[in-house]
Amino acid sequence: MRTGIIDGANLNGGQQLAVKYFSVALVLFLVQMLFGLLAAIQFVRPDFLYNVLDFNVNRMVHIDAMVVWMLYGFVGAVYWLLEEESGTRVVGLAVGNLAFWVLTVAVAIVVVVYLWVQTGPGNDLTRWFVNEGREYLEAPRWADFGIVAVLGVFFYNVAATFSRGRWSGIAGVLTLDLVALAGLYCAGMFYLTNITADQYWWWWVIHLWVEATWEVLVGCIMAWGLMHVLGVRRRIVETWLYIEVALMFGSGILGLGHHYFWIGTPDYWFSIGGFFSALEPIPLVAMVVHSVYDAGVRKLRNGNHPALAWIIAHTFGNFLGAGVWGFMHTLPQINLYTHGTQWTASHGHLAFFGAYATINIAFFYIAMQTWRGNIWLGSGLAGEGWKWKGALALINLGVIGMTVALLIAGYEQSFIERAMEGSTWRGYFAGQMHPWFQQAMAWRLVFGVVTLAGALLLVWDLLTIGVGETRRAPQFAAEAG
Amino acid sequence: MIEPVAPEDFQRVFATAAATVLGGAGYAGLFAWARLKNRRLWLVGAYMCYAASAAAMLLLTRAAHLNGAWQGVVVLMLVGYLLAPHGIWHLCVASHRLERNSRAPPGD
Repeated sequence: MRTGIIDGANLNGGQQLAVKYFSVALVLFLVQMLFGLLAAIQFVRPDFLYNVLDFNVNRMVHIDAMVVWMLYGFVGAVYWLLEEESGTRVVGLAVGNLAFWVLTVAVAIVVVVYLWVQTGPGNDLTRWFVNEGREYLEAPRWADFGIVAVLGVFFYNVAATFSRGRWSGIAGVLTLDLVALAGLYCAGMFYLTNITADQYWWWWVIHLWVEATWEVLVGCIMAWGLMHVLGVRRRIVETWLYIEVALMFGSGILGLGHHYFWIGTPDYWFSIGGFFSALEPIPLVAMVVHSVYDAGVRKLRNGNHPALAWIIAHTFGNFLGAGVWGFMHTLPQINLYTHGTQWTASHGHLAFFGAYATINIAFFYIAMQTWRGNIWLGSGLAGEGWKWKGALALINLGVIGMTVALLIAGYEQSFIERAMEGSTWRGYFAGQMHPWFQQAMAWRLVFGVVTLAGALLLVWDLLTIGVGETRRAPQFAAEAG
Repeated sequence: MIEPVAPEDFQRVFATAAATVLGGAGYAGLFAWARLKNRRLWLVGAYMCYAASAAAMLLLTRAAHLNGAWQGVVVLMLVGYLLAPHGIWHLCVASHRLERNSRAPPGD
């Protein structure tokens, strides 16, 4: 094993596939920010790139790139841990590699078509080959089938590998979750002429992917990551994985109801959505106890400071973004005014960042550590680790700044556009023209630039961290299987 | 059915909703710290945070018109915020006791 340099020989087969997923994830992360910035500029200067690269396209690519880079990160993380966790080589790795290239080429084609065909009729041809037209799930139908097929290959790799090797608590939860991951996506693949019925199923993908299958996936990845980074024992992480899944499913699945308030579904969804949404922060609050307990007992000693720092950022980001920002506007009595305003965007920015982006970034650092020969990434790094610390600070500052700016804009929209003007067309423009909204959009752009600067620093750090390092990290990983 | 929040109460709803969750987190954090370090003073702080969370929840109840069956949700939240940290604490202690009793290596 060679240390201090990037060497594929330091990785097993699954990990070699994982770093391909991580590399594309990182590129898509930058794409997400680039198109987010273009959209942010257009809020401040609406004529910017008008009829060249319109706002709706920039926003769509911004959000879709986020969904896809997170998915690439999760899939990569699972391939990363697969051989160590199962104790055997990945079954069907060649098919897994093929699926990676198919997915990557498909994503590239979809984005090019988005940019090439920005306007046009909505018919079967465009639905199949250009844009399906559903917000967040714009991928054309052919790509939908491709996504499900690739997730099927992914499931085969995971299930067959565990079957040939050994099963564990993490393996069982993970494998079952992958069935739901592929299965739920199918709920967004059929078109109904009744908009209420169509939205009903559409939310199954959006909410249940994000607040059920993704959360469980991240729970599995985190469980393995904590064993690897902190040396936490398997029995502990698996116990907590089961508790987390139970708590999350208890409140998260029917929390779906908060998306059904205003789409034409029956009144009882007010009660179901309000009830479970009100209970959703309780597991997050309860988990504070576990964080404090572990911090106090374990003293957080570890050999990968950047990864641990991003895991800590995950704890705070998830709590604030999903818990606090979610609960502030989730009850139907207030959501009547806030849904679909920048309030939602404020919540979305912090929650997605806190719950998912942070975990993927933590895993990038875990990958770099092993890729360079399981080197020490704790204290005493070259330059005292200023690059990873700077990236952490800039990205967190940027995201929190954007969140607060969007919060102010959302508050103003709720008040003027919704409450005072009664959601009229005139009210929409009154809200958009208000100085609070416009200043908030300017600040959002500023903090977007800060976030991008942090992301560029992050990429630089990932490419250079541990160069020439010869100290070895504790061997938690070798014992984790 | 629901009675929407009055526009003049928007700020109160947002602030009290945030204070509810933050107060709950403060209670959970201080509670765990007090039990970990065996300090009663921190426990007093924890219950003050819970009281603040409960007060915020009651203000939210009024501002957001949480009447009728909605008050059941409020009671469940009050009970949940109070008891969940106790439950998680016991689970922490029990699961880590298993760890101490086990001589198996990490990850085993």
